[in-house]
Amino acid sequence: MNRRKFLGLGILAMAAIPATLSAIASIDFRATKPDAWKAKTVDAAVKALFGDIKPEDKGIKVKAPKVASNGGAVPVSIKSDLPLKTVAVFQNMDPESAVAVFNVPEDGIVDYFLKIKLKATDANGGNGVVTVIGEGKDGKFYKGTMSLQVAKGGCEG
Amino acid sequence: MAHNMKIKAKLKGDVVNVKVLAKHDMLTYDQAKKKGKEANFITHITAKVGDKIVYDVSTSQFWSKNPQFKFKFKGGKKGEKLDITWRDLSGKTVTESKKIK
Repeated sequence: MNRRKFLGLGILAMAAIPATLSAIASIDFRATKPDAWKAKTVDAAVKALFGDIKPEDKGIKVKAPKVASNGGAVPVSIKSDLPLKTVAVFQNMDPESAVAVFNVPEDGIVDYFLKIKLKATDANGGNGVVTVIGEGKDGKFYKGTMSLQVAKGGCEG
Repeated sequence: MAHNMKIKAKLKGDVVNVKVLAKHDMLTYDQAKKKGKEANFITHITAKVGDKIVYDVSTSQFWSKNPQFKFKFKGGKKGEKLDITWRDLSGKTVTESKKIK
Protein backbone atom coordinates (compact mmCIF):
# COMPACT_ATOMS: atom_id res chain seq x y z
CA MET A 1 0.00 0.00 0.00
CA ASN A 2 1.27 3.47 -0.88
CA ARG A 3 2.00 5.89 1.86
CA ARG A 4 -0.01 9.05 1.62
CA LYS A 5 1.37 12.49 2.23
CA PHE A 6 -0.59 15.19 3.92
CA LEU A 7 0.12 18.91 3.85
CA GLY A 8 0.42 20.56 7.20
CA LEU A 9 -2.14 23.35 7.37
CA GLY A 10 -0.15 24.93 10.17
CA ILE A 11 2.47 26.21 7.73
CA LEU A 12 -0.15 28.13 5.74
CA ALA A 13 -1.55 29.73 8.88
CA MET A 14 1.91 30.92 9.89
CA ALA A 15 2.53 32.54 6.51
CA ALA A 16 -0.53 34.75 6.92
CA ILE A 17 0.90 36.55 9.94
CA PRO A 18 2.77 39.74 8.95
CA ALA A 19 6.42 39.73 9.90
CA THR A 20 6.57 43.18 11.42
CA LEU A 21 4.31 46.03 12.40
CA SER A 22 5.81 48.52 9.97
CA ALA A 23 3.79 51.55 8.86
CA ILE A 24 2.34 49.83 5.84
CA ALA A 25 2.50 46.32 4.50
CA SER A 26 3.29 45.38 0.95
CA ILE A 27 0.17 44.83 -1.15
CA ASP A 28 0.22 42.36 -4.01
CA PHE A 29 -2.53 43.68 -6.27
CA ARG A 30 -2.01 40.77 -8.65
CA ALA A 31 -3.17 38.46 -5.86
CA THR A 32 -5.89 40.71 -4.37
CA LYS A 33 -7.36 41.90 -7.71
CA PRO A 34 -6.52 39.22 -10.28
CA ASP A 35 -9.23 40.32 -12.75
CA ALA A 36 -7.76 43.81 -13.11
CA TRP A 37 -4.71 42.32 -14.85
CA LYS A 38 -6.74 40.29 -17.36
CA ALA A 39 -9.05 43.13 -18.40
CA LYS A 40 -8.72 44.11 -22.06
CA THR A 41 -10.04 47.67 -21.79
CA VAL A 42 -9.05 50.49 -19.46
CA ASP A 43 -12.63 50.84 -18.18
CA ALA A 44 -12.87 47.15 -17.33
CA ALA A 45 -9.47 47.19 -15.61
CA VAL A 46 -10.37 50.27 -13.55
CA LYS A 47 -13.67 48.67 -12.55
CA ALA A 48 -11.99 45.41 -11.54
CA LEU A 49 -9.44 47.30 -9.44
CA PHE A 50 -11.46 50.09 -7.85
CA GLY A 51 -15.11 49.30 -8.54
CA ASP A 52 -17.62 51.67 -10.12
CA ILE A 53 -15.81 54.99 -9.64
CA LYS A 54 -16.09 58.45 -11.14
CA PRO A 55 -12.63 59.98 -10.89
CA GLU A 56 -12.12 63.74 -11.01
CA ASP A 57 -9.99 64.84 -13.92
CA LYS A 58 -7.33 66.67 -11.90
CA GLY A 59 -4.40 66.40 -9.55
CA ILE A 60 -2.34 63.86 -11.45
CA LYS A 61 0.27 64.73 -14.04
CA VAL A 62 1.25 62.14 -16.61
CA LYS A 63 4.17 62.79 -18.91
CA ALA A 64 5.24 60.79 -21.93
CA PRO A 65 6.64 61.67 -25.36
CA LYS A 66 3.93 62.78 -27.83
CA VAL A 67 5.46 60.50 -30.41
CA ALA A 68 7.35 57.54 -29.03
CA SER A 69 9.85 56.23 -31.57
CA ASN A 70 10.48 52.98 -29.75
CA GLY A 71 7.44 51.24 -28.31
CA GLY A 72 9.69 48.79 -26.51
CA ALA A 73 10.56 51.35 -23.86
CA VAL A 74 8.29 54.39 -23.62
CA PRO A 75 9.26 56.64 -20.70
CA VAL A 76 6.32 57.62 -18.49
CA SER A 77 6.41 59.98 -15.49
CA ILE A 78 3.65 60.29 -12.94
CA LYS A 79 3.45 63.10 -10.40
CA SER A 80 0.90 64.18 -7.84
CA ASP A 81 0.87 66.35 -4.73
CA LEU A 82 -2.37 64.80 -3.49
CA PRO A 83 -2.28 62.46 -0.49
CA LEU A 84 -2.84 59.23 -2.38
CA LYS A 85 -2.78 55.66 -1.21
CA THR A 86 -2.96 53.89 -4.55
CA VAL A 87 -1.78 54.89 -8.03
CA ALA A 88 -2.70 52.69 -11.00
CA VAL A 89 -1.35 52.94 -14.56
CA PHE A 90 -3.28 51.72 -17.61
CA GLN A 91 -3.02 52.02 -21.40
CA ASN A 92 -5.27 51.16 -24.36
CA MET A 93 -2.73 49.76 -26.82
CA ASP A 94 -1.58 46.41 -25.48
CA PRO A 95 -3.66 43.20 -25.29
CA GLU A 96 -4.34 43.84 -21.59
CA SER A 97 -4.65 47.27 -20.00
CA ALA A 98 -3.00 47.21 -16.59
CA VAL A 99 0.65 48.24 -16.37
CA ALA A 100 1.31 48.96 -12.72
CA VAL A 101 -0.43 49.49 -9.41
CA PHE A 102 1.56 51.44 -6.84
CA ASN A 103 0.82 51.05 -3.16
CA VAL A 104 1.93 54.46 -1.88
CA PRO A 105 3.74 54.25 1.48
CA GLU A 106 2.80 56.41 4.47
CA ASP A 107 3.77 60.03 3.61
CA GLY A 108 5.15 58.69 0.33
CA ILE A 109 6.03 60.93 -2.58
CA VAL A 110 4.10 60.32 -5.78
CA ASP A 111 6.83 60.98 -8.31
CA TYR A 112 7.32 57.85 -10.35
CA PHE A 113 9.13 57.08 -13.56
CA LEU A 114 8.97 53.84 -15.49
CA LYS A 115 9.47 52.54 -19.01
CA ILE A 116 6.69 50.58 -20.63
CA LYS A 117 6.01 48.54 -23.75
CA LEU A 118 3.32 49.81 -26.11
CA LYS A 119 2.03 48.49 -29.40
CA ALA A 120 2.26 50.77 -32.42
CA THR A 121 -0.78 53.03 -32.51
CA ASP A 122 -1.45 52.78 -36.24
CA ALA A 123 -2.38 49.14 -35.69
CA ASN A 124 -5.39 50.25 -33.63
CA GLY A 125 -6.02 53.54 -35.36
CA GLY A 126 -5.92 56.85 -33.54
CA ASN A 127 -3.96 57.85 -30.53
CA GLY A 128 -2.89 55.75 -27.64
CA VAL A 129 -3.72 56.93 -24.16
CA VAL A 130 -1.94 56.31 -20.88
CA THR A 131 -4.42 56.66 -18.02
CA VAL A 132 -3.40 57.05 -14.39
CA ILE A 133 -5.96 56.74 -11.58
CA GLY A 134 -5.13 57.79 -8.04
CA GLU A 135 -7.08 56.73 -5.00
CA GLY A 136 -6.89 59.42 -2.32
CA LYS A 137 -6.65 58.78 1.39
CA ASP A 138 -9.94 60.73 1.49
CA GLY A 139 -11.58 57.96 -0.57
CA LYS A 140 -11.89 60.14 -3.68
CA PHE A 141 -10.52 59.19 -7.06
CA TYR A 142 -8.44 61.32 -9.40
CA LYS A 143 -7.38 60.86 -12.99
CA GLY A 144 -4.61 62.02 -15.31
CA THR A 145 -4.11 61.07 -18.94
CA MET A 146 -1.57 61.51 -21.71
CA SER A 147 -2.23 60.71 -25.33
CA LEU A 148 0.59 59.70 -27.57
CA GLN A 149 1.49 57.95 -30.76
CA VAL A 150 3.83 55.02 -31.00
CA ALA A 151 5.78 54.77 -34.24
CA LYS A 152 7.23 51.31 -33.76
CA GLY A 153 5.53 48.77 -31.53
CA GLY A 154 7.30 47.13 -28.66
CA CYS A 155 4.94 44.34 -27.94
CA GLU A 156 5.46 42.18 -31.00
CA GLY A 157 8.91 41.09 -29.89
CA MET B 1 23.79 37.12 -6.61
CA ALA B 2 24.83 40.50 -7.74
CA HIS B 3 24.31 42.27 -11.06
CA ASN B 4 20.58 41.63 -11.35
CA MET B 5 20.02 45.30 -10.66
CA LYS B 6 21.86 48.59 -10.93
CA ILE B 7 20.80 50.87 -8.12
CA LYS B 8 21.56 54.52 -7.45
CA ALA B 9 20.25 56.17 -4.30
CA LYS B 10 21.16 59.76 -3.60
CA LEU B 11 20.05 62.07 -0.81
CA LYS B 12 19.11 65.60 -1.94
CA GLY B 13 17.78 67.81 0.81
CA ASP B 14 15.46 65.50 2.73
CA VAL B 15 14.50 63.40 -0.26
CA VAL B 16 16.23 60.26 -1.48
CA ASN B 17 16.23 59.92 -5.27
CA VAL B 18 16.40 56.35 -6.46
CA LYS B 19 17.17 55.06 -9.95
CA VAL B 20 17.03 51.38 -10.76
CA LEU B 21 17.82 49.27 -13.80
CA ALA B 22 16.66 45.70 -13.32
CA LYS B 23 17.93 42.94 -15.58
CA HIS B 24 14.98 40.91 -16.80
CA ASP B 25 13.71 39.74 -20.20
CA MET B 26 10.12 40.71 -19.31
CA LEU B 27 8.80 38.19 -21.82
CA THR B 28 5.10 38.89 -22.50
CA TYR B 29 2.60 36.12 -23.26
CA ASP B 30 2.62 37.09 -26.97
CA GLN B 31 6.40 37.22 -27.21
CA ALA B 32 6.72 33.91 -25.36
CA LYS B 33 4.26 32.21 -27.72
CA LYS B 34 6.28 33.28 -30.76
CA LYS B 35 9.53 32.10 -29.22
CA GLY B 36 8.06 28.88 -27.87
CA LYS B 37 9.03 29.86 -24.33
CA GLU B 38 7.18 30.42 -21.09
CA ALA B 39 6.10 33.98 -20.39
CA ASN B 40 8.01 35.48 -17.50
CA PHE B 41 8.10 39.01 -16.17
CA ILE B 42 8.55 40.88 -12.92
CA THR B 43 5.27 40.92 -11.01
CA HIS B 44 6.20 42.89 -7.91
CA ILE B 45 8.88 45.30 -6.73
CA THR B 46 9.38 46.45 -3.15
CA ALA B 47 12.04 48.78 -1.72
CA LYS B 48 12.76 49.03 1.99
CA VAL B 49 14.99 50.91 4.37
CA GLY B 50 15.24 48.67 7.42
CA ASP B 51 11.70 47.28 7.73
CA LYS B 52 10.06 50.43 6.39
CA ILE B 53 8.58 50.13 2.91
CA VAL B 54 9.44 53.13 0.71
CA TYR B 55 8.25 51.78 -2.69
CA ASP B 56 5.77 49.04 -3.43
CA VAL B 57 4.37 48.24 -6.86
CA SER B 58 2.58 45.36 -8.55
CA THR B 59 3.74 45.15 -12.16
CA SER B 60 2.61 43.68 -15.48
CA GLN B 61 4.20 42.21 -18.60
CA PHE B 62 4.16 45.66 -20.21
CA TRP B 63 7.13 47.07 -18.33
CA SER B 64 10.01 47.31 -20.81
CA LYS B 65 12.73 44.72 -21.15
CA ASN B 66 15.37 45.37 -18.48
CA PRO B 67 12.98 47.75 -16.77
CA GLN B 68 14.15 51.14 -15.63
CA PHE B 69 12.32 52.99 -12.91
CA LYS B 70 12.75 55.91 -10.55
CA PHE B 71 11.12 56.98 -7.31
CA LYS B 72 11.64 59.32 -4.38
CA PHE B 73 11.11 58.98 -0.66
CA LYS B 74 11.57 60.94 2.54
CA GLY B 75 13.15 59.79 5.76
CA GLY B 76 16.29 58.15 4.38
CA LYS B 77 19.74 59.02 5.71
CA LYS B 78 23.19 58.87 4.16
CA GLY B 79 24.85 55.51 4.70
CA GLU B 80 21.57 53.67 5.31
CA LYS B 81 20.96 50.58 3.26
CA LEU B 82 18.20 50.51 0.65
CA ASP B 83 17.01 46.98 -0.16
CA ILE B 84 15.19 46.39 -3.42
CA THR B 85 13.40 43.11 -4.06
CA TRP B 86 11.66 41.91 -7.19
CA ARG B 87 9.66 38.78 -7.75
CA ASP B 88 8.79 37.33 -11.16
CA LEU B 89 6.08 35.08 -12.55
CA SER B 90 8.26 31.99 -12.17
CA GLY B 91 8.46 32.71 -8.45
CA LYS B 92 12.09 33.78 -8.49
CA THR B 93 12.94 36.48 -5.96
CA VAL B 94 15.99 38.72 -6.10
CA THR B 95 17.08 41.26 -3.50
CA GLU B 96 19.94 43.70 -3.91
CA SER B 97 21.08 46.54 -1.69
CA LYS B 98 22.73 49.89 -2.03
CA LYS B 99 23.88 52.43 0.51
CA ILE B 100 22.25 55.85 0.27
CA LYS B 101 24.81 58.43 -0.87
